[in-house]
Amino acid sequence: MIAQLIFTAFLSGILLYALTEYRRSPAVGLIAVFAAVGGLYFVWVPWHATRLAEFVGIGRGVDLIIYIWIVISLLLLLNLHLKLRAHMELITVLARELAIANARSHQSTS
Amino acid sequence: MASQAPRVWVVIAAYNEAPVIANVVADVKRAGYRTVVVDDGSTDATGAVTAEAGGVVVRHPINLGQGAGLQTGIEFALREGADVIVTFDADGQHRAADIAVLIDALARQGADFALGSRFLGASHNQPLSRRMLLKAAISFTRLTTGLSVTDTHNGLRAMTRRGASSIKLHQNRMAHASEILHQIAASGLNYVEAPVTIEYSAYSLAKGQTLGDALMILIDLFARRLQR
Repeated sequence: MIAQLIFTAFLSGILLYALTEYRRSPAVGLIAVFAAVGGLYFVWVPWHATRLAEFVGIGRGVDLIIYIWIVISLLLLLNLHLKLRAHMELITVLARELAIANARSHQSTS
Repeated sequence: MASQAPRVWVVIAAYNEAPVIANVVADVKRAGYRTVVVDDGSTDATGAVTAEAGGVVVRHPINLGQGAGLQTGIEFALREGADVIVTFDADGQHRAADIAVLIDALARQGADFALGSRFLGASHNQPLSRRMLLKAAISFTRLTTGLSVTDTHNGLRAMTRRGASSIKLHQNRMAHASEILHQIAASGLNYVEAPVTIEYSAYSLAKGQTLGDALMILIDLFARRLQR
């Protein structure tokens, strides 16, 4: 029961994060929502995890949950990468404006 | 009354091109075009050499990549009142004489973009591996943009003011060449291809793209798709 509560808290946090990220990257947000909701479901209905795991040929339900956890971690990494790209775009705009302003002021003074 | 000649700006993005940039700028200037070189945070004398050769230098404070350099040059040229903007490589593999071919193609066909094609023109000293990589890239471009182009990742292209205003490059690195074609397709503006000649040299081949770069381009394009 304690483990279920801890995992629920973790996955609920990820679900909230995924929902807030949906606006910036719909694809990543949507997949993360599905993964987190799936994880929550299996935490509380673990025998379904076992049945689904057997159905897809994984074996144990706990393995399936570990795989879902790995998928969530990779999605968080991808999201971090997308955030870095977005920041790089902002830096580029700033550097571009500086460069053009410098060149134009240099042209007008020479 | 004869119509006024278009105000043409040639945009060159350069990173550590000091050994060749003076000749490139001098050739373009001799052909009669205004030239802006975007020095993309070079650590060598690219900027100083360009200024000596008579080109306008716009210097990025940090290295951002060729795509970012071209977008900076395009925005600079637009603010300077350019009617036609030509993008031109810094490594000396393009011929200044081909600029007139592209501008002529724009005017004759009433297009907003004239894309240089080495496969309609010629390429000298092109290695087989480069040719195969380009052919694969062309197939990919045709598939993803719907444009039936004969060349891709050719840095020699011309665009009208309207065409240039519709382009907004977000890909800072090499994927900008694919991004331009995507944006041309999305803009619905007319494009035309014109034959140009590419002169590969040991220098330009050393600076050119590899299979690893092609993989990075695919990753960059995919990541951009995930962003809103």
